[in-house]
Formats: sequence, structure tokens, C-alpha cells
Amino acid sequence: MEMGRDLALLAPELTLAAAAMLMIVAEMFRAARLVLAIGLAGLAAATILTLPMLSVDATVFGGTYRIDLISGWAKLILLPGTALSLLLVRAEIAGRRREGSVQSLVVLVTLGALMLSGAGDMMVVVIGVVLTGLGSFALVAWPRDDAATEAAMKYLVFGAVTGSVMIYGLTFWFGGSGSTLFSKLGQLQGQTLVIITGLIAIIVGLGYKGALVPFHFWAPDAYQGAPVSIAAYLSVITKAAAFFAFAQVLRDLPRDGGWPLALAVIAAATMTYGYLAALVQTYLVRLIAYSSVAQSGYFLMGVVALGASGFAVPGILVFAAAYVAMNLGAFAVVLLAGRNLGDLEGFGRTHPWLGAAMVVFLLSLTGIPPLFGFVGKFYLLSAAVEAGYLWLAIIGILNSVLALGVYLRLVVPMYRTSSTEHPSEVGAVLAQGTVVVTVLATLLIGLAAGILPGP
Amino acid sequence: MPLLTIATFLPILAGLALMALPDRSTRTAHAVSIAATGAVFLITLAIWARGIVAGDFAQVEEIAWIPAIGAAYRLGVDGLSLPLVLLTSLLFFLSALYSARIGERAASYVVLMLMLETASLGTFMALDGLLFYVFFEVSLVGMYFMIAGWGYEERQRAALMFFLYTLLGSLPLLLAIIGLYLGSGTFDMRVWVEGTALGGLPAMLALIAMLVTFAVKIPAFPVHTWLPAAHVQAPTAGSVILAGVMLKFGTYGLVRFAYQMTPEAFAQAGQVILAFGVVSALYGAFAALAQSDLKKMIAYTSVNHMGYVVMGVAIAALATEPRIRTIALDGATLQMVSHGLVTGALFFLVGMLQDRAHTRGIGDFGGLLGRVPWLGWAFILSAFASLGLPGLAHFPAEFQIFLATLNGMPWGLIAILAIVITAALYLRAIAGVFLGEMNDKWADMPDLDRREKLVILPLLVLTVLIGVAPGWLIDMIHTTMMGLGN
Repeated sequence: MEMGRDLALLAPELTLAAAAMLMIVAEMFRAARLVLAIGLAGLAAATILTLPMLSVDATVFGGTYRIDLISGWAKLILLPGTALSLLLVRAEIAGRRREGSVQSLVVLVTLGALMLSGAGDMMVVVIGVVLTGLGSFALVAWPRDDAATEAAMKYLVFGAVTGSVMIYGLTFWFGGSGSTLFSKLGQLQGQTLVIITGLIAIIVGLGYKGALVPFHFWAPDAYQGAPVSIAAYLSVITKAAAFFAFAQVLRDLPRDGGWPLALAVIAAATMTYGYLAALVQTYLVRLIAYSSVAQSGYFLMGVVALGASGFAVPGILVFAAAYVAMNLGAFAVVLLAGRNLGDLEGFGRTHPWLGAAMVVFLLSLTGIPPLFGFVGKFYLLSAAVEAGYLWLAIIGILNSVLALGVYLRLVVPMYRTSSTEHPSEVGAVLAQGTVVVTVLATLLIGLAAGILPGP
Repeated sequence: MPLLTIATFLPILAGLALMALPDRSTRTAHAVSIAATGAVFLITLAIWARGIVAGDFAQVEEIAWIPAIGAAYRLGVDGLSLPLVLLTSLLFFLSALYSARIGERAASYVVLMLMLETASLGTFMALDGLLFYVFFEVSLVGMYFMIAGWGYEERQRAALMFFLYTLLGSLPLLLAIIGLYLGSGTFDMRVWVEGTALGGLPAMLALIAMLVTFAVKIPAFPVHTWLPAAHVQAPTAGSVILAGVMLKFGTYGLVRFAYQMTPEAFAQAGQVILAFGVVSALYGAFAALAQSDLKKMIAYTSVNHMGYVVMGVAIAALATEPRIRTIALDGATLQMVSHGLVTGALFFLVGMLQDRAHTRGIGDFGGLLGRVPWLGWAFILSAFASLGLPGLAHFPAEFQIFLATLNGMPWGLIAILAIVITAALYLRAIAGVFLGEMNDKWADMPDLDRREKLVILPLLVLTVLIGVAPGWLIDMIHTTMMGLGN
């Protein structure tokens, strides 16, 4: 009886898991197209199954996994984002070695991301971190050249260390509250040292996943070593999942022990460092990698305000949706234009529509209204102000100016006259399709912000 | 009929339609541009004919947008915004006429111009804080691409500086808007202008944030440094829109946001704001005197004229007598319109001169009046208007501002010195360019053609009309300012 209800609530996750298994089976027959078709069908089915459950607020398996606003919207954001990533993967590596394995791994990592987004229990967070981590290492290593191998090794070692620290630290919460459930964290009220120890563990573990300073070192290397489509995928899906997990963990934690302040400092450092580092990059993928690090800082503004502002959770969700659309779109344009800053030279003149789309993505990443990214940033800034972190909001807006400086470094060369050839690659149609979908989302969803979760 | 909405979005829709057209030739692009801006001008005239009401916003149009946070699509006009709306639609129409000779990527140029018009009209008519901010920022993006794409030699640098500077300037407003929202629970500006959303320290912080934003936009000393660079590099129509319309975002915001939404804090800071106004007026005049480039000179006189507006608003906050407050606000608002017309005309004329001579240095010309009498006399008339000659547009505005200053804060009258300086610099420019020895280099310079006359004449007529009989305009402004002064 109880089990039946639980399974019904888990329909999207189960559908995706089944699709991932079928993809692996299909890959055994080296039927790459079939793998992709199963993956897309599974993602679509899971998305549709999520829709009627958006207003549900329940837990399954004894409270360890949550079906609530955060996990519902997480599915609506992560599943379509994954589908677009699959298209980009296909566009980039169609017909190459083990294409189907890459596709299957992507879907499995997304399954891990869903677990993180719905985590109601410490062990579920650990499983989510491991599941997303293992798949990601393999994805980064896929090109099998020196750069990719080195990046994957770094990623793996970093992941192993931070994961161990997280598991060790979480034992303090378990010891303090007598339970691995996050809903019991309220019992830690007053045990400041325990709160802080467990929190450091969470910050290390999830901060690594979300590429927060100072746990971001793996990100630029991994994005650079991996195929562009995989970099795009990792930069949006696993990162957004990390912040959904933050939201699940910290919304039950008493706001003492100064953790909001500690996170605020990390947020300020992350956004500032990310943009400053991005300013001096000459390699396009690295530049976007550092800009993604900076965006993590904005996500964290919402985390800082958890429990103190009604804007915090909607802010994280809306910004995640915007971020998935605009960052995937920007990476899709990079896939079409080339990995170096010089490849953008004159790109806006030879490809007016793709150039205009790139401008939209970059302005949205800056936070210019009425684009989608602005709505997200607006909610996050409101959350910070309402939670009493005006200084963090001020640092946030100052960084928006820095962001503009970073992104104009891409816009300006795009409209210079140049003779650089931009050969159209195989599979360009799929990448262009991704650009169309993401640019429409970036342009229009911000205007229709009423349909999104609000305070 | 939702005329305000139609006027606001007709330009951008025309721009989108142009992008979808198979034929995007220079001719079609400019035809679309002139037709759209012309239609918008007529629609704003119809809005004017419908009239405004005392003590409230008129012709309000409202649709739910983000109900969860109380943000809605709200437009409306009053005696502060309607004159600026009319000014905007006129200047965009004239700019479209003037720009009809631009052949370089004409379709993109026209789309940007139309996007800017939508943003500008929306900024003045928005009655929702979030919506206002959206329009306000979109205008920055449009102007950035305008300067970067169609400006002169140093355009990339100037455009970058403009964008970074004004974005840095406008973001504090976002914090102020968040503060006003958290204080009132809505984004409805009609609630905010009651002035009770915030009080005490939060109100002062919000005021400081707003002053930073609007001071950059106005621009007031010492955050004006982006203006000369942007103006010098911008294409002519870009300069006209920048000076004629976009600087008014700053002064409009100063009244609508700073003065109306945080009145007590504004009164407390009144002396400081007045000082910034006086310094800007004087600094702008002296800096203009030092220029040898005509366009830069006019750009600096904008700092001077906008300084008077800031003074007017500060006096309105400081004065105790309602009559004086109303006079100060009347004058400040009229000054915004006059500046748009006169400076718009001057930038057009300098643009026309540059089209012919490809230089703007005062020393490069001489004795042009005999050669190009239309251009010459139009410039002389506009220059006289700009220096505040009675009978021309700036006089009634500046007269009211100084009258209020005399009654409210007499020390502010030192700004009158700026009028003398302005007179000197304009006379010097007129003498250098149009009088004296004729420079043979320009012996076959053609005078204004029909299209150029069409662009410049409406501005000159209005300059004289407002100077001689400002009643029709002041009455409209006064209807609203009577309420604000009390």
C-alpha cells in the first residue's frame, strides 16, 4: 500500500532509470541512434509525468526522498536541459567511438542529479554525489587524449577527497540529531559546533559539485578537456543539482552558528573571483568555465537567504531554469563557432542569427532585463536584501558590471569584419536547434515570469 | 483603445516585422522607420488630446504580469511624463527622417532605433517599478549597439565606456526598487509615489542608490565623464536621442523616484543635491568653454542645462512655500523639454555640418553664414535659445528655476554665472564658424536640402513657440506639479 504510493510518486525517476538501462542495452548493439531515441523518449516521458506532481508536497521511503516544489521544478529544469545536452552530444560526436555510452552516461548522471535535488536524507545526498561524480569522470575522460585524461584525473581526485570529507563531516549531524534525515536537523538547535562541522562537510561536498571558490579548480580543466557538449552539460545540470541539494539540506537547518554569513562570504568570493579570472582568459571554453564559476556565486545568494526570505527557494529555481537555458545556448554557439576566442572574430557578421542569439545569451548571463537571467538574478538579489545581506547584493550588482566587461569581450570581436572562415560542421542542425530552443526560452520565459514559482 | 501600449510597442513590432521581411534593403528599412515613428508621433498626439488629470495618473493601462510578487504591466501618464513622451516621439520621428541617408547596414540600424524608441517611451510611461527598470536597461543595450555599430573612429572604446558606466550607474536603482518593494509589498509606482513605502535609514539608503543612478544618467558632476566620449563618437541621430531623450531618464527619475518616493530623505539631502546641481551647471559651462570640438562643446552644455534641472528639483524639496515648490518643479520639467528640443536641433545641425565638412573643429571653419545661410541661421537661433535668450525655449524654464532659487535658497544663484559663460562660448562658436573670413576650403558647401529643413524646422518653430507662448505646455505640466508642490 505504502510502497504503491511511493512508486507512483517516483514515476519520473523510475521512467528515467528504465530508459537509462535500455540505453545501455541498445549501446551493446552499437545502435547509437536508438540509444539517443530512447534517451529523448525517456526524458520527455519523465518530464510529462512530473507536470501533474508539481503541487505535491510529500516524502517517500520514510522521508528520505522528497517530492516537493524544489524536486518538482528541478525535474522540469534538468530533464529538458539533459535532452538538449543529448542533442549537443549527438551534434558533436555523432558516429564516433562509443557515442551511445556517452549518451547513456549523461542520462545516468542526470538520474543522480535528480536524487540530489530531492534528497531528504544524508545518505541520498551521498548517493547523488557519487552517482553524478562517477559518470562525470568518465564523460570528461572520453576524448582519451592527454588533456582529457589529466582533467578527468584531477576531477576524480578532487571528487574523492571532497566526497570523503563530506561523509566524515555528516557523521557529526547524524550523531547530533540521531537521524540521517534532514527534517530532523531542527534538533541541532543550540549545538553550534555540530551544526558547523556538518555544514563544512556539506559545503565541501556540494561546493565541489557546484564549483564554488575555493573548490572550483577542477572546473576549467574539466570543461576544457571534455568535449564542448559535455562541458555544457556538466556546467548546467550537475551544478544546478548541487544548488537544489543545498536548498534541500539547509532549509531545515537552524540559522545559527553564522553559516549564512560564511556562505555569503563564499558567494562574494566566488562571483568576484570567477569574473576576474574570466576577464583574462583567451580560451573561449575556459572563459565560459570561469563565468560559470561566477554564476555559482549568484546561486549561493539564494542559499544564504534560505529560511529568511520567501524569495530564496523561488530564486534558486528560477535562476537555475534561466541558467540552464542561457549557458547551454552559449555553449551550443561555441560548439558551432569554435573553442577559441579568435574563432568568434566576425562570427556575428557571417552568421547574423547565431550572433544575435549569442548576444542574447551573454546579456542574459549579465542580468540585463527583460531576459530570463535578469528575473533569476532579481529574485536572488531580493532574497539577499530581505535576509539582511545588503552588502552581498551590492557585491552581486558590482559583479554584474564585471560580467558585462567579460561578455563584451565576446560581443565586440563578433561584429568585427574579418575573413575568418566558419565551416559548417556535421550535425550543425541539431546544435542550431538547441540554440533556437534556448534563445526562445531566454527571451520569452522572463516576460512570462508569472508561470514560474514565486514567493 | 490602449493608446499608450500601442505607442510603446508599435516601434519594436515594426522593427520585428522589418527583420522578417524578405526585402531588407536600405530603402525599405528607412520607409518602415519613418512610417512607424511617424505613426507613433500621431498616436502620442492623440494621447495628449485625451488629456491628463490633476493629482493622479491618467489613461492607466494595467494587466497582471507576475502576480506572486505584485508586479504588473502598468502604463500611465501625468504632467511630468506626457511632455517627455511627446518630446520622445517627435525626436525619434525627426531622427528617422534625418537618418534616411544612412546606407551602412540600414536594416539593423533601424531595428535598433525602433527598439530604443520602445524603451524610451516605456521608461516614461511605466507605472510599475520592475517594468520601468526593464525599459530603462533595454535603452542602454540599444544605445551601446548604436554607438558601437555606427559611431565614429573611437566608437568601440566609447561604447564600452558608456555601457559599463551606465550599467554600474543603473544597478543601484535595482537595489532601491527591491527596497521599495520589500517596504510596500508591490511594484505599483502609484503606491510608491505616495512616499510612505520607506522611512528613516532605509529611505535614505534608497535615495542614495537612486541618486547615484540618476546622477550618472543626467549626467551630473562628477559622474558625467562618459557623456562627452559617448556623444563625440555616437552617430548624429544617436547623439540627438542620447541628449534629447535619454538624459531625461535621469531628471525624470530624479523627480518621479527620488523626489516623490523618498520625499523626507530628499528634503534632508536637499542642500547637497542643490550643491551638485549648482556645481554641475557651472562645471558644464566652463568645460564647454574649453572645447574646440563643436559636438563636445554642446555635450558639455548639456551638463550645464541638466544642472539647472537638478537645482530646480532640489529647491522644490527645500522650499517651504507650496507656490515656490510648484514654480521650481514647473521650471525643471519645462527645462527638460526645452533642452530636448534645443540640444536636439544643435546636434542635428552639427551632424549636418560634419556630413559636409567631415570635421567639427571650430577653428576649421569661418564665414560660413554667407555660404550656407539656412544652416547658419538655424544654428544661431538654436545657440541663442541654448544660452537662455528671452523669447526662446530655455528662458521661461530657467527663469522659473532661478525665481524659485532666489526665494528658496538664494546662494544657489551663483549658478547664474554659468549663463554668462554659455553666452560667451556660443558667441565664440558662432563667430568662429559662421562669421569672419570665409575659409576657401568650404567655398562650394551646399546649404540644407529639403529633408534637412524638414528635420530642423519643427524644432526651431517649437523653440520659438515655447519661448514666446509657453502657456500650452506649462499648463499641462502645472496640472501635475501643483499636486507635487503641496
